[in-house]
Amino acid sequence: MRKYYGYAGRILRVNLTKEQVKVQRLEKKLIAEFLGGRGFNIKRLYEEIPKSVQPLSPQNKLFFAAGPLVGTAFPLGARFNVSAKSPLTGILGDSNAGGHFAAEMKFAGYDQIVIEGKSQKPVYVFIRDQEVQILDAKSLLGKDTYEATEAIKKDLGDRTIQVATVGPAAENGVLFAGIFANLARPAARTGMGTVMASKNLKAVAIKGTLSINVADPRKFWKIVEEVEEEAYAHPQYWPRRIMGTTRILMLANRLGILPTRHFTSGTFEHAAEVSGERLAREYNVKNRACFSCIVPCSRTYVIRGGEYAGLYGEGPEYEPLSSFSARVGNSNLNLALKAVDMANRLGLDAITTAECIAWAMELYEKKKLTKKDTDGLELEWGNGEAILALIRKIAFREGFGNLLADGVREAAEKLGVGKEIAFHVKGLEIIQADPRGLKGYGLGYAVASRGGDHLRSEPFIELSDDPEKGRNMFGVPEATLRLAYKGKGKLVRYFENWCAIIDSLEVCKNLAGNMELLPFNKAAEISEATTGFHFTEEGMFEIGERIINLERAYIVREGIRRKDDYLPQRFLKEPLPNGASKGAIFEIEPMLEEYYSQRGWNKRGIPEETTLKRLGLANVAQNLAQAIET
Amino acid sequence: MKRILINIDRCSGCRLCEMVCSFNSESAFGSSTSKITVIKEDRSGLDLPVVCWHCNPCKPLDNCPVGALERNEEGLVFVKEEKCVGCELCSENCAMGAVKLHPCRNIPLICDQCGGNPVCVEKCPTKALNYVEANRTEQPKLPKQVIEETLHRWGIIA
Repeated sequence: MRKYYGYAGRILRVNLTKEQVKVQRLEKKLIAEFLGGRGFNIKRLYEEIPKSVQPLSPQNKLFFAAGPLVGTAFPLGARFNVSAKSPLTGILGDSNAGGHFAAEMKFAGYDQIVIEGKSQKPVYVFIRDQEVQILDAKSLLGKDTYEATEAIKKDLGDRTIQVATVGPAAENGVLFAGIFANLARPAARTGMGTVMASKNLKAVAIKGTLSINVADPRKFWKIVEEVEEEAYAHPQYWPRRIMGTTRILMLANRLGILPTRHFTSGTFEHAAEVSGERLAREYNVKNRACFSCIVPCSRTYVIRGGEYAGLYGEGPEYEPLSSFSARVGNSNLNLALKAVDMANRLGLDAITTAECIAWAMELYEKKKLTKKDTDGLELEWGNGEAILALIRKIAFREGFGNLLADGVREAAEKLGVGKEIAFHVKGLEIIQADPRGLKGYGLGYAVASRGGDHLRSEPFIELSDDPEKGRNMFGVPEATLRLAYKGKGKLVRYFENWCAIIDSLEVCKNLAGNMELLPFNKAAEISEATTGFHFTEEGMFEIGERIINLERAYIVREGIRRKDDYLPQRFLKEPLPNGASKGAIFEIEPMLEEYYSQRGWNKRGIPEETTLKRLGLANVAQNLAQAIET
Repeated sequence: MKRILINIDRCSGCRLCEMVCSFNSESAFGSSTSKITVIKEDRSGLDLPVVCWHCNPCKPLDNCPVGALERNEEGLVFVKEEKCVGCELCSENCAMGAVKLHPCRNIPLICDQCGGNPVCVEKCPTKALNYVEANRTEQPKLPKQVIEETLHRWGIIA
């Protein structure tokens, strides 16, 4: 067998129906065309999960993938992507998590793990190098993510085993349940935990003793040293170490884009009380890092007094913190921490959970919902008791929680009210940044292949408001002005391709992207030094483009068209009422036109045949043409 | 003699030390071949690197049934590979939990301080590892004790 560099070289397939395990060699063509992680996953998803497959049926498959830099000393983190058809959105389900699980996959010898079929009884899978066991999980049922992880480590008698598990929410069929590694590191979006639980699979536990080789060690270490030097000298190094992403909360408030009380305001008068600055000053204990990362931006906290005193944990990051504070109108930091902790233990996506609660709160404030509808809960803004009660009700599908457990799109559909204020795109709830004050981000939400999310494009450069950057990068000064529209198609295309590369190498977007430590040319250099395959800067851009187009083809095959690339009505019609972005609305059409033309997609949002052929996706073009006809 | 000292409040648990250590001896990255190992407890957020302290006396050395462990003139414990039978008794006897066996070669992995310039110390992103002069007879605190004291100090256990 040919030796692999960077890659472990093997794909593991576990069929739970047949209780069979198969190991395949990693194909060279897949490496050259799709690089790793997210790229590998969409390739297989497109080929193996056609339109006819129902997300929660045994025919759906769950793909875990790591990237070629994972399990080495490359110092920008080590992540994994989980993909499947999403039960929440019905289209592409994909989510990504850090921590130490991904590296263990590589040490066990696998670049990708595919879970197929459905077990007759509750099980978990334990992988130790070549040895794969399907073990009984009856005693794990109903256990929360913390308890299940603990029980598995105890059961297997090894505390160094890495565990990715689901919580009760997934078992109860909540459509936005995540997969949790290292307790508080979830691949939470798009309901990948729900798919896992639908297969009667409680957890994947993994332990590896193998090693990863690199093709050109001298070049590898040279690049590592350059990246290290740049990272340590970076102006964001200490802010990130002190606050992680929670530093964004005050920044978003200053820019007037902090979604407050369900996007009715862009500023939160209590922002400082729930800020990352306050967490760092009064709660934080120490820093933690993902595998092999030199910017330890994760923090552990202890609540030292007041409500929930004694509660401790890791995190939170900006999204869950901001979701359970500003979005739901809550100014009590202890309560926000408790809410995030609960969501983690129950195994929920914190962003979606908070959107469902905030949506119900706005309807309650507008008297479209009453106590009769909400099981007696008084859903006033910031009512802590009601927030915690609803999180629980959602996780266990109790009463009013049962309505919310299908996500905000379905809830609005079933209830028949509140459709215009259900903040989702393609069924995925929108994150915590108001697009009215960030046009490029807004376009990114509208076209993202997994729905309303920023991590597919993350055009952070827009926040610089520096026209010089736009002129240099895209020939359009407005491209990097956050309130301008021109050039955003070019901007989003560029950043989407970049994010696809970062997600496929499975490094951290905060570092590789936002801190600009891994531009396309450096990504090519390190990939070549690590894997021995030839990569160029242009080639990397093209791989990113290929991944985006295949993802688009996948969701087009599922029925997505231009009409689905939209944002909720409030952003298009109601100006932001206050703050530094006061008066801004969001106009999508001109940006969408530019974006489609940049992408080589037609007016209906479908990739042109020539575009797909240029990217070596001729068979996809053919398959798509047939699918659209019928 | 010099020893690798650990500052538990600084360790982020990134395990970069394991990566550089394994690469230094194996030219490949692997946690299982590293001579330094980070004990990680996600529940409490605690990360504790363990590495041979070269204690004197050393229980694994004193109890090795084939006399494969010896101490050099600098006071560092090392393994005589040709004598070792891979019985794993050293691993069981080390109170620090700092000795594990190489997964293929079946000999104990014992830190040699990279001949006086430990790469783990050099590369540690948070300066949690320090290479400093220490008293020859000084004994380390056991991991269990370190963990307990730390959790008290952090206010995680009363």
